[in-house]
Amino acid sequence: MTKFVLNGEPVDVANSTDEMLLLVLRDTMKLKGTKYGCGAAMCGACTVHVDGAAMYSCQLSLGDVEGSEVTTIEGLSEDGTHPLQEAWVAEQVPQCGYCQSGQIMRAAALLSEIPKPSREDIAFYMSANLCRCGTYNRIFKAIERAADEA
Amino acid sequence: MTRAKTIPELSRRGFMKGAGLVFTLGAVGVASVTACSPAAPAPVPLDVNHWLSIGADGVISIVFPSTEMGQSGYSTLPQILAEELDADWDDVQIQQLNKDDRRFGNPLFGGVLYTAGSTGVQAYFDPMRRAGAQARDVLLQIAARELGVDKEFLATEPSVVVAPDGRRLAYGDLVEVGLEGVVVPDADVVRLKDRSAFRIIGKDLPRRDVLAKSTGQAEYAIDVELPDMAYGAVLRAPVEDERPMRIDDAEARAVSGVIDVVELPDGVAVIAESLWAALGARNLLEVEWSESSPARAFNSADTLQQYAAAAEDTGASAAVWAENGDALKAIDAADRTYSQLYLTDYAYHAQIEPMASVASVDADGQGVEVWAGTQTQSWTTHTVATTLGIPPENVRLNMMTMGGSFGRRTALVQNYVRDAVLSSKAVGRPVKVIWTREDDVKNGTFRPAAAQKVEAGLTEDGKLDGWYHRVATPTVIGFFNPVRWDAVRPNDVISMRGAESKFYGIKDFRADHVITERQARLAPYRGIGAAYTSFAAEAFMDELAEQAGRDPLDFRLDLVEENLRGRHLLEKVADMSGWRRRGDRALGLSFAGYSSSMAAGVAEIEVDDSGVIRVLNFWAAVDAGLIVSPDNSHNQIEGGIIFGISSALSERIDIENGEVVQNNFYDYPIARASEVPPIEIYMADVDAPPTGVGEVGSPMVSGAISNAFYAARGQRLRHMPFTPDRVRDALGV
Repeated sequence: MTKFVLNGEPVDVANSTDEMLLLVLRDTMKLKGTKYGCGAAMCGACTVHVDGAAMYSCQLSLGDVEGSEVTTIEGLSEDGTHPLQEAWVAEQVPQCGYCQSGQIMRAAALLSEIPKPSREDIAFYMSANLCRCGTYNRIFKAIERAADEA
Repeated sequence: MTRAKTIPELSRRGFMKGAGLVFTLGAVGVASVTACSPAAPAPVPLDVNHWLSIGADGVISIVFPSTEMGQSGYSTLPQILAEELDADWDDVQIQQLNKDDRRFGNPLFGGVLYTAGSTGVQAYFDPMRRAGAQARDVLLQIAARELGVDKEFLATEPSVVVAPDGRRLAYGDLVEVGLEGVVVPDADVVRLKDRSAFRIIGKDLPRRDVLAKSTGQAEYAIDVELPDMAYGAVLRAPVEDERPMRIDDAEARAVSGVIDVVELPDGVAVIAESLWAALGARNLLEVEWSESSPARAFNSADTLQQYAAAAEDTGASAAVWAENGDALKAIDAADRTYSQLYLTDYAYHAQIEPMASVASVDADGQGVEVWAGTQTQSWTTHTVATTLGIPPENVRLNMMTMGGSFGRRTALVQNYVRDAVLSSKAVGRPVKVIWTREDDVKNGTFRPAAAQKVEAGLTEDGKLDGWYHRVATPTVIGFFNPVRWDAVRPNDVISMRGAESKFYGIKDFRADHVITERQARLAPYRGIGAAYTSFAAEAFMDELAEQAGRDPLDFRLDLVEENLRGRHLLEKVADMSGWRRRGDRALGLSFAGYSSSMAAGVAEIEVDDSGVIRVLNFWAAVDAGLIVSPDNSHNQIEGGIIFGISSALSERIDIENGEVVQNNFYDYPIARASEVPPIEIYMADVDAPPTGVGEVGSPMVSGAISNAFYAARGQRLRHMPFTPDRVRDALGV
């Protein structure tokens, strides 16, 4: 059994400790907001927070998060009112939307590290995540909006 | 029974087509026989026509006939109908069309349910406006009867009919009153709103799916979960058209959680209680594949050489794609001639959601429910029905929002859906099949490789005098939809779009399609042919301008004398980018488009001897006719430009001995946040029908970048993508 804190709640998971965290989150814990995109730490669709840091959940096994706090998009806010989520809506960022959970989780980690990031900070940090629809400039604006309103 | 609560199928069709049908008790009687039990006619919403229904609670359901992949047709198309209905947008519920119901077919694809080619708004603008206007007229008639006021004196405000004396009747209340005596106007002649009266079209209503997509709540096919569902991972044949000959699955079957190992026509599926188990067990399969496929001879390096030879060989047979005057004669007689060859590699869609589909085959094998994200209800139904050998009406579809597509999910036969159907049938349970990224790349269907020879004549005073564009590339349609190819052969719009250069007025013009042998799996791709034909045309246009001793802008302006809207875009983008006073800034101009949407673009780049091109700025002036959703259009065009930058700089698929060389985003890089420039977009405000925004952003980009490279370094890039090694070759460093 692997014990960790998931979105603020203690959980105890029986899956094999070497199972990919992403799949445990999606298929066992039924948290579908975290997405599979590449399985290779290249696209960031699977980004979650582990003890506050943005991590690729496709690169972690369940055992890696024993005793940690894991936050997914579902745990970022209860009702979509995290400042980044509100900024995402205000800027109408998503197109297909598939990468956006990961983008928002990455952006949240950025803002906790650098509350008022420069455009260069944002571009550098957000380059860990891919958006094929090309919403990058709106992502920049939404992060700046959230930072301004914080 | 006095209330017309339902309209029978037959009459509903008539309703749209029109002509003065009078709904009376008789018509309702037919409805009650076919639709409700005579004893207890259930309260049913007013099905005003097949596009919408209005409930007594005022909720207006509007059919979304396309599928959603990020283009936002899901919001935009129902807005068109809501406008003419004069609905309060907050009252509207959007109904995804989940079957191959050709009444809703895409008029630009012969009535097939098909979401592609930036056609959604263009194709449905008129029919959905008319459906809304027809329904509004009916509501006015009902209200007129209720209020005792002539219809002509009534007006509407959002979801309300208003009488001259101030009395108001909500649309929902009119539903209760019924259709008796109503004369349904012919949809073809029903009165439409004047543009100046629009409340929804041209306004920025928030898109319906943005909150769900910002909170992880949007559900894609890959997220679907059913009771008792199993997971499938498929080991697919390494080369097209190979089959499993011998399968040793002993180790795979021994993995805990594995339910079955299923042989598919082109692969072997491992079905397990979890995806993790299925993927792990798949690694343990030992499969001997057939080695008879001609595709084993496919090598992309050779392919491009063959295509180049075909483009150069003016004796090779070709299908005329577009012609005006006599290009060959004009070029022969010209004072000077000039020609160049342009090459482009295969490219992969790289949508971030890999292929995924869920199927639950009925116990008797005669029906199935399927959850999939595809660009076509019609061909997904076809795929499933033919896979199981069942009638199409036994296929129950759930069209899921897609994690991008860009042409990836358009084929007549969709093997990622077939995988799930065959797997579910084999194990008697619902099965979700997910392709890994590597599966998707290795089994990708690509934008074709192409070689293009462009040749032109110039007059002594530097004017264009004949243009001949030969595109050597296979037919895409012939592969991804052979049924359609039979109907359109030899005209392949997927392979050739853009080569017609129709935004220029070129007196003696010809574009030929040299239909080469297909040596990879192919599919439509954002921008289709224009993704490469516009590169060749616009790079060549700059080379010609130089030959003529003219500025690239002036040379193009000469060719748009009769295309005033296009001329405006060129002048506008020149203003935006400071073209006339560019000094030593490395700017490149391009003028292309998609279908009837036009775009002029300027790229500013920098590049050093590392060969890495950095796009510093991009300006675009776009004319896509009337714009239904301005903010979304901006988002689409900006995304299209970034897609174009990505394609131009890094995207390349290679094939060796029939196998795709690339694997994942580490060897198929696409544009990241740090590579994206500020993008400024101007949208022309024109009084003309909408022509689509999904693809117009992409085709201009590669030409603009290659032309900017010449401005920067004085060398031409004629082979896309402009990867650092190719750039260094061009620079001789």
